[in-house]
Amino acid sequence: MADRRPERSVRVDRGDGCWRGKFQAMASPCEVLCETDDVGVAKRLTRLAATEAWRIEDKFSRYLPGNIVDRINNAQGRPVELDPETAHLIDFSATLAELSDGRFDITSGVLRRVWRFDGSDRIPSAAAVARIVESIGWHRVSWTSPSLQMPIGMQIDLGGIGKEYAVDRAAQLLRDAGSMSCLVNFGGDLAVTTRSRQRDGWKVGIEAPNTARLPADRVLNLQNGALATSGDARRFLLKDGIRYSHILDPKTGWPVPNAPRSVTVAADTCTQAGMLSTLAMLEGAGAETFLDAQGVRYWCHR
Amino acid sequence: MVAVASVVAAAAVIEGIRMSNNQRSITATLAAATCSLLGTNMPEPVQAQEDPGWDFNTAFLYYGEDNNRVQDLSLDMLARRTFVDDRFLTLGLTLDSLTGASPNGALIQDVAQTFTRPSGDSIYTTPAGEQPLDDTFKDTRLAVSANWQQPLGRLYQINVGASASKEFDYVHLGLNTKISRDFNQRNTTLAAGLALAQDEWDPIGGIPAGLSATGNVGDLSNRSGPDTKDIFDVVFGVTQVISKQLLMQVNYSYSDSSGYLSDPFKLVSVVDGVTGDVVPVAQTPGVDGPSHLYLHEARPRNRTKHSLYTQAKYYMDGKVLDISYRYMTDDWEIDSHTLDMRYRWPFANDSYLEPHLRYYTQSEAGFYKLSLVDGDPLPDFASADYRLGNFDAITAGLKYGWKTGVGNDMSVRLEWYQQSGTVASNQLIGNQVGRDNYPDLNAIIAQFSYRFGY
Repeated sequence: MADRRPERSVRVDRGDGCWRGKFQAMASPCEVLCETDDVGVAKRLTRLAATEAWRIEDKFSRYLPGNIVDRINNAQGRPVELDPETAHLIDFSATLAELSDGRFDITSGVLRRVWRFDGSDRIPSAAAVARIVESIGWHRVSWTSPSLQMPIGMQIDLGGIGKEYAVDRAAQLLRDAGSMSCLVNFGGDLAVTTRSRQRDGWKVGIEAPNTARLPADRVLNLQNGALATSGDARRFLLKDGIRYSHILDPKTGWPVPNAPRSVTVAADTCTQAGMLSTLAMLEGAGAETFLDAQGVRYWCHR
Repeated sequence: MVAVASVVAAAAVIEGIRMSNNQRSITATLAAATCSLLGTNMPEPVQAQEDPGWDFNTAFLYYGEDNNRVQDLSLDMLARRTFVDDRFLTLGLTLDSLTGASPNGALIQDVAQTFTRPSGDSIYTTPAGEQPLDDTFKDTRLAVSANWQQPLGRLYQINVGASASKEFDYVHLGLNTKISRDFNQRNTTLAAGLALAQDEWDPIGGIPAGLSATGNVGDLSNRSGPDTKDIFDVVFGVTQVISKQLLMQVNYSYSDSSGYLSDPFKLVSVVDGVTGDVVPVAQTPGVDGPSHLYLHEARPRNRTKHSLYTQAKYYMDGKVLDISYRYMTDDWEIDSHTLDMRYRWPFANDSYLEPHLRYYTQSEAGFYKLSLVDGDPLPDFASADYRLGNFDAITAGLKYGWKTGVGNDMSVRLEWYQQSGTVASNQLIGNQVGRDNYPDLNAIIAQFSYRFGY
């Protein structure tokens, strides 16, 4: 599986008033926009961000044999001692599980074995879903930092946090490395390192994921902070006129009904924005009510 | 299977409603958890504003020539909508209200002169010693335009637009497109543009035949119906970033016009070959008509222009020096040079001053004739329109711009325009020597602009 990784290289070209560094990581196109005239500086900062993204991908990808996630998932019920960074991520996930009343669950990735969101009408059987739900549930994991012990048959997947975490980590590295403003964008989840020279900040487009694209498109001026989006209009199943979104409720194993097609949230960090957009999706019909209660700016597409 | 699914889904809906009734803010807990996850000082708080969907640029302009010549009040609105991926829609609207009088091309004489109005339905008289002005110059012009701009792939950009304008007796319709490509890490841009237009003249009373004498009131025998002109323009340009401070642009443009290119309101005086005074004509009793012999002007039905434009913008610490030069030459034998300079000088609180200086000079058209001699064979083309003569013009002005409390841009601009022409001495006959055959023109331009988002 590891051999499927795309080539790890960084390319820099000129953008409008900035240099734009590009690379591929975490199955997404990634870019770093640097407000500098110096192509050398832009290259250096892009490499810094790319190296961090690749490091996080290698460490937490569920596809890479031998990494910490693989070791946890193949521990066969034995306790695993975690390094501080992984322990922090697990702590964070535990807090999220609690905050979401169990709806955010890093052990729910196994649902992918029965649900494949390819636009088809292949709905899994209720029995198959019920069987899988048996092996889901953060409350069944014993976690006393730094030791994690998980029942046999359960798996964790940090994919729900990894990209946002990588954006914040890379943004922090760039903030430490230089004073100019950069926009770190990993596949649409993004953060600004520091205030831009431009009065309006960085211009970021928020696309409406529906087919009537034009009227719903928004352009956002981001001076500080981060944006993250959950949801993907292309990933769904359709059967007997019912649209099944790819947002799965770990408690039932079934798609969350009436989930928005996508939710974009603006917050101080990409991690916060990502968690709020994910939790909002899990609220289904209550996504907007939930986001209103958080007092954040959001763009909900239904 | 589907039935079971629906039941489960219904249960989830109930669960969702229960959650919603118990909405609580998790932001504080989430912020604390994020802070300990990232293990650093948190970045500055989020600051995000939705871009105003529309950017409006409005301007109110007054242009006034001295001696009661042309006055124009103009309202200009440009609305630009930004879409993601650098796509723009620009819509324009201009409303002009023109009043005043414009020189009709006839010579200044020591006697009063009477002219038939271009419509052919009445007369007007110019006192002795004054420049003959056609006082029926009154019009309202409405112009609209639309333009769409978007990238094509990574390096190309395309622009398509359409424009239309309507005056009482004039209609313009135009289409334009431009494509540009970036090279050399976007330091070089090559652009090519194409514009097509068709205009139509339909003056009251019809279009007078070229070099026919102006008739008495009611005599429209030398008039014909509407006429059109077609304009074809192409432009090729290079924009080059020379350094962090210097941006340069060079454009070559070619313009071809064909059709009715004359001005149906302009006249040429017919003079005595010795005195240089305009030849009087016999009056028909009981019928108003011209006091002297005036011919309607006639210009060629084709015109080809070539122009070369070059611009340099120099940025120094927020200050911008913008200098441009244009050379134009055409097959009417007009050559012109335009030198334009602006200097943007910002100072505290988001405000700036911008002095502007422009110098323009042109040589006369080959068929520019101050007057035609009575009895000489008629040339193919002749015009005494001052705009086709030899002249120099200077524009000097100052603009002051500032930001309003809510971040919108305002500016006021005041400019003076001075035009002075000369008529070649070999064109002067008898008494014309020593007369002011090309009176100076002075104008004031005042503009107020307001730019805001919505």
